[in-house]
Amino acid sequence: MAGRQLLMTFPVTATSHSLAEYLARGGYVALAKTLREMKPQDVVKEVAASGLQGRGGASFEVGRKWQVVQYDDGHPHYLIANADEGEPGTFKDRWILENNPHVLLESMLIASYALNVRNCFVYIRGEFDLPYRRLAGAVEEAYAAGYFGRNVLGTDFACDIVVYRGAGAYVAGEASGLIASLEGKKSYPRNRPPRLTVRGLYQQPTVVNNVESLSNVAGIVLHGAAAFRTVGTAKSPGTRLISISGHINRPGVYEVECGYPWMKFLEEDCGGVPGARPIKCVVPGGVSSKVLTGAEIKELVLSHEALWDAGSTMGSGGMIVIAEGTCMVSLLQVILRFYHHESCGQCTPCRHGTGWMHRIIDRIVAGGGMPDDIDRLYYVSKFNDGTTICGLGDAAGYACTGILDKFRDEFEYYIEHKRSKYGGSLECLKSS
Amino acid sequence: MPEIFINGQAIQARDGQTVMDVAREHGHFIPYFCWHPQLSTAGNCRMCLVEVEGRGLDIACNMPVSKGMKVFTASDDVKAHRKAILQFITLNHPVDCGICDKAGECTLQDYHYEYNGEHSLSRDEKVKSTKFYNLSNRILLDNERCILCLRCTRFTHEVSKSMALGVERRGDVSNIRPVEDRPLSEDPYSDNIVDLCPVGALLSRQFLHKSRVWFLQPTPSVCPRCSRGCSIQVWHRKQEWRLKALDPRQNESIARVTPLENPAVNGPWICNVGRDLAQVFERARADEPMLKGRPAGIAAALDEARRIISTARHCVALVSNWGSNEELEAFKRYLGEVFHGFVKQDWQPQPGERIEDDLLIRSDKNPNTARARELFGDDAPHFPEGTDVVLVWGEGFDFAQLPPRARIIFLNSYLQPENGHADVFLPISIQTERAGHYTNFEGVVSAFEPCFEKKPGVSDAEALFKALAAPARGHL
Repeated sequence: MAGRQLLMTFPVTATSHSLAEYLARGGYVALAKTLREMKPQDVVKEVAASGLQGRGGASFEVGRKWQVVQYDDGHPHYLIANADEGEPGTFKDRWILENNPHVLLESMLIASYALNVRNCFVYIRGEFDLPYRRLAGAVEEAYAAGYFGRNVLGTDFACDIVVYRGAGAYVAGEASGLIASLEGKKSYPRNRPPRLTVRGLYQQPTVVNNVESLSNVAGIVLHGAAAFRTVGTAKSPGTRLISISGHINRPGVYEVECGYPWMKFLEEDCGGVPGARPIKCVVPGGVSSKVLTGAEIKELVLSHEALWDAGSTMGSGGMIVIAEGTCMVSLLQVILRFYHHESCGQCTPCRHGTGWMHRIIDRIVAGGGMPDDIDRLYYVSKFNDGTTICGLGDAAGYACTGILDKFRDEFEYYIEHKRSKYGGSLECLKSS
Repeated sequence: MPEIFINGQAIQARDGQTVMDVAREHGHFIPYFCWHPQLSTAGNCRMCLVEVEGRGLDIACNMPVSKGMKVFTASDDVKAHRKAILQFITLNHPVDCGICDKAGECTLQDYHYEYNGEHSLSRDEKVKSTKFYNLSNRILLDNERCILCLRCTRFTHEVSKSMALGVERRGDVSNIRPVEDRPLSEDPYSDNIVDLCPVGALLSRQFLHKSRVWFLQPTPSVCPRCSRGCSIQVWHRKQEWRLKALDPRQNESIARVTPLENPAVNGPWICNVGRDLAQVFERARADEPMLKGRPAGIAAALDEARRIISTARHCVALVSNWGSNEELEAFKRYLGEVFHGFVKQDWQPQPGERIEDDLLIRSDKNPNTARARELFGDDAPHFPEGTDVVLVWGEGFDFAQLPPRARIIFLNSYLQPENGHADVFLPISIQTERAGHYTNFEGVVSAFEPCFEKKPGVSDAEALFKALAAPARGHL
């Protein structure tokens, strides 16, 4: 147990995702409370007061996003749960969708009530099979029990939900790309302004929230923002679901209270690195966040502000542990291949920059590296930063410079000797 | 009215404008590829990055003006980023300007000289893609040259509405491709995408490898293919590049036709039919006056025509609606009292041609029906009892419908069988050989200018009318 828990509060069994068990855990009480006792504005105020930050990667406050939407502006509003979980290393939303889909649905109902939404959507990534079946089953159960449709729980409130399966593009996880995909177009992200909360799906005000962010809403409404704020740190209230993988004894999804010591989490909760090897570095929140070395994380706690201060971010909560003896050149090759493959090709710097970086790193790994290649990777990263429509171009640059800054010597060694300093391995070797 | 500052200059902008709009209005040039005033904002080329004090870099084409913002269009940071953007754009671009039709009028070429000018920093192989992809019977696509600005796809979605183009795959291997079941060849405005393309990716089959653009000059003209009367540029070889070594027909031919932007008539577009003017004007020409099919001198032909007119009882004229305002007025002035004039439809819709739509194309396939009807009325041609002389001006009239015994004076530009059936045949010049004006269906008057010398042996219709009206033995 990495501190107090808000979402993983029950033992996972073969039936723990069902409506019956969710109700037995106190499910849909928050919805009833909201519809009977709260005004929509109160819900928005409560969520804003909780300081809940987005769990998808950008950590933008959920309440501030909601406050932009004018309840009575005469437009239809839309709510979309972003379940297109595609950041490498991240599989936390999958846990919610598989084991507790009703908490997402309940929270979406509450959010729909707060934001005057008649139709909401879940955009789920196409590769998710079990999560999709569990979610679709939960939607069916919820409709049958009268939580969706007209006159929810006997009130005037009406809300419908559509579960839409994506087709596997990473960039469709970006909110505006997701909307384009949902509209049936190619998932090209869109320039801002206008923001999505002004003009989003079908040109109407739209709120797009991550699954985990939304799932916290039911608890916040039920217990109050003050209770939520007692968990976590002042600047990072609540908990984070962390999906941990890589060189770690017990990979999986963990709920971590913000402010929990990092090393304690890795060693006690996750069982440490196989063979007790030292940690070389950690990708803290999906490969788009900058890596932190073993030395850097020693004294850190897991909170947004602590990671920002360290020059990285908690991102999407996809943590990858990399043990000593891993070849960082090969690691960067894998990462850059991913960005090259997933660039949507809409705007110039990312379309060409990701491919350029990938070709350079491929050449280095093949033994054809040249001394100015490192400078060139920096050059591409620099001019991808802040010049692209969405964050994917920036992210490719961050991932690249994050590793180059800290492990430049390995790249120089590889270029000079035409071989890896560590045998090119990405596996966790038992002994060195 | 927010006041903004561009490069230190205070400017009163209007609400709802973008920085790009304001900068263009006030003469601050911001380079761009994907932006186009008539299309939606795509913001994908990233060439128009500008710096806003306190906010860093962002694209000008999608940046709404806000009070007091300080924009810099050429700061060091902006220059460095522009240079890098051009590095990215040319990374996989073949830079085959030597064999590219667009060279000389290519935005990428101009910007590279202006804002980058360096060799590529890349040492790796370029991404290969399709060359000469068959988009339609009129257009080829070179995907390696394409910079994916998406002007062409936006044009087919927003202007011509054929929805014929889209993007296939993603990243640096994404390609413009036709959409299934929506062939670009059925889009009557498709050739506009060739002009819209800022690089040489979209190629007109008509113009492919025909000429370097710097050998050519444009002459402003008016498209005669329907009553819209779109303003066009007729491109032909410059005087100094008309070479003896070339086939004379090549020296005096229409190389291509492009739109001339005219907000009052056609905006920046024209239809494909307008691009095919060479098919109209480069048909075999008649260049000799004839009397009953036998070649004759112009003086003899005019004498005979005058004799026929002076001995007639009732003369009818079928007036061409391809005549310019000046020619129609000259006919009215010189021969209006002698002849009973009717407006003749020179051209009918061709097989497969779009008849009419709500963008540009009109059902009347002649340029000057409006002015001709003003002068000669709306009646369809008919021949009152006793008509013994008919003057036919221009092509497109079936001689079998003429009164059987009437004598015929025929003015035509092209070599056609009817020429020999006329009692007097007089060859006349065509639009590309003279200046004049057309009045379109909305009453907008547009001017055209001559591109070529008049062919030897032909006369302007205006001069012929004057000569025919002269009492006797008047010559040209």
